[in-house]
Amino acid sequence: MLIVTCPVCKASGDETDFHYGGQAHVRRPATSDPVNITNEEQRDYLFIRHNPKGLHFERWRCDRGCGKWFHAARDTVTMDFKATYGITELPPVELMKEAKGPWAEFFKNRLKEKA
Amino acid sequence: MLEPQFESALAHRQSPDNLSISMREISERGMIDLRGLSSDKKFMSAVKSVMGFDLPKVPRTSASWGDMKALWLSTDQWLILCTRSKTNALLAELNTALGKIHSLAVDVSDMRAIIRIEGDGVCETLMKGSSLDLIGPDYKAGTVRRMRFAEIAALLHIVEENVIDIYVFRSYAEYTWAFLTKAARKGSEVKLFRG
Amino acid sequence: MSKTPYRLATGGTRIDRARKVTFTFDGKDVSGFAGDTLASAVLASGQKIFGRSFKYHRARGLVGLGSEEMNALIGVGSGNSHEPNLRATQIEIFDGLNATSQNRWPSLKYDIGAINAKFSRFLPAGFYYKTFMWPKSFWKHVYEPIIRRAAGLGKAPEGRDPNTYEHMHIHADVTIIGGGLAGLAAAEAAASTGVKVLLCDENPVLGGIADLTAGTIEGDCVVDYANAVAARLATLPNVHILTRTTVVGHFHHNYLMAFERVGDHDPAILASGAPKHRLWKIRADKVVVATGALERPIAFANNDRPNIMLASAVRAMVGRYGVSPGSAGVVFTNNDDAYLTAFALQKAGVNVQVVDSRSRPDGALVKRAIADGIDVSVGSVISAVDGSHGVTSVKIAAYRKGQGRVITEKKVECDFIAMSGGWNPALHIWCHNGGKIQFDDGLQSFRPKSHTDNIIAIGAANGTMSVEATLHEALALGKKAKALKVQEPDRGALESLWFAPATGKYNEGNKHFIDFQNDVTAADLELAQREGYESVEHTKRYTTFGMATDQGKTSNLNGLGVLSEATGKTIPEIGVTTFRPPYTPYSFGSIAGSLTNDLFLPVRRTPIFQWHSEHGAVFEPVGQWRRSYTYPQASESKHEAINREILCVRTKVGLLDASTLGKIEIKGPDAAEFLDRIYTNTYSTLKVGKCRYGLMMNELGFLTDDGVTVRLADDHYLMHTTSGGADRIAAWLEEWLQTEWTQYKVFVTPVTEQWGQFAVAGPHARVVLAKLSPDFDISNEAFPHMSFKQGHLGGYPVRVFRISFSGELSYEVATPANFGQGLWNALMEAGDEFGLSAYGTEALHVLRAEKGYIVVGDESDGTVTPIDVGLEGMVSKKKADFIGKRSLEQSFLKGPNRKQLVGLLTEDPTEVLPDGAYAVAQVKDKPPMELIGQVTSSYMSPTLGRSIAMALIQNGRARMGEVISFPLEGGKVIKATITDTVFYDKEGGRLHA
Repeated sequence: MLIVTCPVCKASGDETDFHYGGQAHVRRPATSDPVNITNEEQRDYLFIRHNPKGLHFERWRCDRGCGKWFHAARDTVTMDFKATYGITELPPVELMKEAKGPWAEFFKNRLKEKA
Repeated sequence: MLEPQFESALAHRQSPDNLSISMREISERGMIDLRGLSSDKKFMSAVKSVMGFDLPKVPRTSASWGDMKALWLSTDQWLILCTRSKTNALLAELNTALGKIHSLAVDVSDMRAIIRIEGDGVCETLMKGSSLDLIGPDYKAGTVRRMRFAEIAALLHIVEENVIDIYVFRSYAEYTWAFLTKAARKGSEVKLFRG
Repeated sequence: MSKTPYRLATGGTRIDRARKVTFTFDGKDVSGFAGDTLASAVLASGQKIFGRSFKYHRARGLVGLGSEEMNALIGVGSGNSHEPNLRATQIEIFDGLNATSQNRWPSLKYDIGAINAKFSRFLPAGFYYKTFMWPKSFWKHVYEPIIRRAAGLGKAPEGRDPNTYEHMHIHADVTIIGGGLAGLAAAEAAASTGVKVLLCDENPVLGGIADLTAGTIEGDCVVDYANAVAARLATLPNVHILTRTTVVGHFHHNYLMAFERVGDHDPAILASGAPKHRLWKIRADKVVVATGALERPIAFANNDRPNIMLASAVRAMVGRYGVSPGSAGVVFTNNDDAYLTAFALQKAGVNVQVVDSRSRPDGALVKRAIADGIDVSVGSVISAVDGSHGVTSVKIAAYRKGQGRVITEKKVECDFIAMSGGWNPALHIWCHNGGKIQFDDGLQSFRPKSHTDNIIAIGAANGTMSVEATLHEALALGKKAKALKVQEPDRGALESLWFAPATGKYNEGNKHFIDFQNDVTAADLELAQREGYESVEHTKRYTTFGMATDQGKTSNLNGLGVLSEATGKTIPEIGVTTFRPPYTPYSFGSIAGSLTNDLFLPVRRTPIFQWHSEHGAVFEPVGQWRRSYTYPQASESKHEAINREILCVRTKVGLLDASTLGKIEIKGPDAAEFLDRIYTNTYSTLKVGKCRYGLMMNELGFLTDDGVTVRLADDHYLMHTTSGGADRIAAWLEEWLQTEWTQYKVFVTPVTEQWGQFAVAGPHARVVLAKLSPDFDISNEAFPHMSFKQGHLGGYPVRVFRISFSGELSYEVATPANFGQGLWNALMEAGDEFGLSAYGTEALHVLRAEKGYIVVGDESDGTVTPIDVGLEGMVSKKKADFIGKRSLEQSFLKGPNRKQLVGLLTEDPTEVLPDGAYAVAQVKDKPPMELIGQVTSSYMSPTLGRSIAMALIQNGRARMGEVISFPLEGGKVIKATITDTVFYDKEGGRLHA
C-alpha cells in the first residue's frame, strides 16, 4: 500500500484514496489535428505504453481528496515517488535527464526546448 | 396545498445506547455545492458579498460567519452550510451576485447525510475505518477532509475537539450508521497514545 | 487429573501457584495455574503428546517456546466459536477453556492414520505428484477427499462465527517489532527524542527471552532491567504498546499489518464487547525489526519424538512455569547457549547431561558446566532415540564433522532431550518487502544486509547475539547513546551441525526431520536433489519443506544445511527461499474485520427503499444499489407480477423509482462545445428546455454510456447517465477537462443523490400529474415529448422531464431526495383511481425491449459500436472531433462482418431464447460450429403475447427475414426469424400522445 501525496492540495494518504491513471504524457492526436491521424499514431496513442524497471512517469488523481489529476515520477523497483508535478507540466529537468530507455527518448526534445 | 413531507436519510434511526460515543443525524442543515476559481477575484468577492466572509483558500480548512460555514473541498469547490430553510434564498442570492461569472452553485442539501459523533474517542472510532492519522497534528478544529471511510467515500469536518460531522452520500447513510454502531460499541474502545 | 507429575516444587516466574485454573483438554479436566500456557499446564499434567504429524501421523509433542511451535497445534473453543490450529505455546489458559488436539482419530494415543508411518517408504518426497496423477477424475472423487481427511489440520466450524472482529489504523514515527531487550531499549531511546513510538510484541508479557539470558546490565540481571524499561514505557504518552500482537507482514512504504489477540485469553474481555481479534494497519516512518532469533532444532534420528524440545523452550518451561519435561534430560548442542538450559535443569534438581557435537568447546559456560559436575560428552551426537510416544533412552556416539554414519554408540537412559543447533535471526519481516540478507559464518545463519525502505534490524534479529552489542544498537535510536555496564559470559564458537549421523541408513526407520509440520526429512531433501530439483525453490515445492503454517521458522536453515552437504555447495550458493507474509497465521475473522453481514458490501438505498421493502419488492443489485426488480402481490409468481406491471404501464399508468440514474450538472461558457466532444451526437444545437438522448463512446470507439441530457440554460446542462455509469462518467468528464481540454471553462458537479426521481409512465400519466395541481402547463402542446419543466407538483419542488424508456407517454419527475418518499406517496395516491401501480426494473426492461431500446451493458459489451447497434444516425458526421471518432474510422469497426443488432422472433412464440444463446451458421451434431452471434436480451412480452429477443448477429441487418438456429445444451435447437428491433408501436405515436 503506497503513500501518495497530492501536489495540488498536499494531502497524503493511502493509494486507495487515489486513482492510478496510467502512463503520463500520452498525447491525444485528435485534440490538435482531428483530421490527419495515421493508424500508427492512433495505435500508439491507444495502446503503446512503457513498462520500465526503475524511473517511470504516471498520472494519478487525488480521488478521495481534492479530485485533481497530477503527474508523478515513481521508481517501479523501490516504489519511491521521486516527484509529483502538475497535470499540464513536464517533470523536473533532473528527472527528465535521469530517465532511461523510451522515456529518455521522449524527453530528449523537451530538454532541448527547455535549454 | 399540503405541506410536503420531509424524510431525512436516517429519520427512522435512533442512536443505540451501548455506544462509547454519542451519535445522531443532522438533518436541519442546508448545503450548497459551489464551484468557481479561487484565482478569480470577481468570483471570490461576489461570494464574499453574499456570505459576509472569504471562502477559505487553504486546503482542508473551513471558514464561518454566523450560521453559515464554507468547507474547502478543492481549489475550485466549496460546500456552503447554512440553515436548511434559508438554502433557497442563499442560492438565489449567490446566483444573482455571481451573474455571468464562471461558476456553478447547486443546492445539494439532500445529496448527503450528516452524522455527528461526539465524545472522547471519536477519532479512534473513525480510525477503525479510515487510514488517516486523525489523532495527528493535521487534524484540529475546523479541518475538513474527504476520505475513504470503511468502503465508501466520506467527508469529515472536525467541528471542535471530540465533535466530528461525517458527510456521506445519502444512499450510504444506513451503511455508515451501521459501521459506526459497530465501531463505537462499548467495550471495543481503542485509545491511542494515552500513556 | 489432579496429579501434576512434572510440576517442580518451586519456581515459575509467570505462574501464580495460589490461583488454580481448570480447563479441558480433549474432554478431560486438566488444572494448571494462572499464568500457565496450555503447553505448560498440559505438560505439567504428564501429557507429552500434543498432536499427530501431518503425513505420517507420528506422535508429536512440544518443541518450541512461542509462535515457532510447529507440532502442538490445538483447537480452542466449541461450536461456531471453535478456532483451529493455534499453537499450545501461545494459548493462555483460563477457567473453562476448552482445547482439543488435532489430526488424530480416534485419540492422540491410538491413531489410525499412524499406519501411514508403516508405509512411509511409499510416501517419499513428491509422493502426491507421483502417485495421484491419473486418471483425472480420480483426483476429485477419490484421492483428494482421502488425502484431506488423513492429512488435515484442524477443522473450521461450518456455522457463523458469533464473535466480532475489527480493523484499526495507527500511525507512528517509529514502529518497533518485538518487545524483547532490544525492542524495549530501542523504544525507550526513540521515545526520549519525543517521537511517537509503537511497540508490538506477540507475547502477553514484554521482555522476550530476557529471562533466559545470562548476564547483568548495570548490576541487574537482564530480565529485571527489561522489566524496569517496560514499566517506564507504559507511562509515556508518546509510546503505544501492543502486546499479544504479531506483526504479520511488512509492505511498501513501511505499511505493517499486525494481528492482535484481544480477547482470546480472557472470556470476560469478550463479554464486555471487545472484538476477539483486531487487525492493525500500521504506518511508520521508521521500522525497527527487533524480532529476535529462533532456535534451530538438530536433525538427528527420530528427532521428532515427544519430549524432544528446543533448549530455550525447556529453559522457559523450568524458569517461567516451574515445569520440567521429565526427570532426566540430555542437552544436545553445537553451541554454548544451551548450557544455560543445563544449568537451569540442574538448579531445579533435574538430572541432566550434555552432548556437544564440538570436539573442543572452550567457552566460559562449558567450563562452568564441567566445574559444576555436569557430565559433558564433547565430540558426540545423539545417534538414536528410543520410544515412540516419548523418550525412553538415547544412544550417544562419537562424532567428527562430516561423518555420515555411526559405528559405535552408548545407551543413556533419559526421558527428554533439549536440543540446540544454534540461532537463526528472525528475518521474515525484514525480507517481506525485499530486504537483502547475508550469510554469517559465526552464526552459521543469515542476517540482514540491506533494505531500500527506512527500516533497521537490531539485536538478535540483526544477528547480534551479545547483550552489550544489542543495547548499543538499540540505544542508537536515542539522543545520546550512553553506554551501559554489561557483564555476560564469553561464548565459544558455534560449529554447524546439519545432520547427526545414525547407525544404518537413516531413511529406513530413522527419520531425521527437517520440517516437522510437513513431515519432511533430510532424506526427502536429498531425494529431491537426486531427482534433479536443484534450485532450492524447486526443492521446496517438491518436498513441501518450509511450506507449512510455521513458514519454515525452525526448518528453513536446517534444510539448506542438508542441501549444502548433499550438493557440496555452500549455503549462500544454495540461496534461500522467499519469505512471505504472514509471519504466523492470523484469523479470517480479523481479515474481514467489521465488514461482515450487513457491512460486507456497502448497499446503496434510494429514498424509497423502505417503501419498496414494505411493499413486497424483490430487489436486484445494480452496482451497489438495490433496485426493485418486481413487486409480487399475495399469490403472484414473479413472472405474473412482471406481466401485470408491464400491462399496467401499457394500458393504465405505472410508477418507477429511477432515483439511481446518474445526474450531473454541467455549466460554463464552453459547456456546449465540451458536450459535443463527449457525445457522438450534438448538444450545441439543443434548445433550452429541451432534452436529447445521447451516446458516449470511449476512445476505442465502443459504446460506454447513454442517457438523456437537458439544456437548462445557454451555458447549463443536466446530464443523465446510466445508474451504473454515474460515478464513472462524472470522473470521466473531470478527467477530460483537467487533462486534455484544459482551456474549457466548464464546471461539472455530480448531483445524483440530491434527487429522488420517478417515472410516471402510461396513457394516464398526464392525468395523474394533473391531479397534483402542477404550477406549470402540462398540456401536450406546452410540454411535448423531449422537453423539460421546473415547478411544483403537489406542493413538492420538482424538475419534470418528458422522456420515455417504455414507449408510453411518460414523465420523469425529480424532487429533492428528502421529499422523495412524500412525493412518491402523493403520486401513488393521485394515481390510485387510474389504476396506477409501482413497477420494477424487470418490467422496465421488457417495456424497453418491446420498443427496441438498447441497454448499454446488455446490447453492448465493451466491443460494440453505435453503428453495430443501429444508431449510426446518432454519430455526427459534421463534428470535427469527439471521443472515439478516430477509432470508429478504423476499417475493422466498419467492416462487413461486424455483428449488428437485430430483433428475433422465435418460431414457437411461447419459447423464450436463453440470454446469451449463440446463433450458429449451421447446426452440427456436436461442436465446433461456426458462431454468428448471440442473444443480448430476451423476454416474454405480455404486450405482444409472444416472446421477443434482440441479438447481435453477423451482417444482421442484411439478413432480415432469415431464420437462424440457436443450438442449446442437450441438443435442443431453437429457430428464430431475424426482424427489426422495434416490436411495438413502430411509429412512436404513443410517446407523443
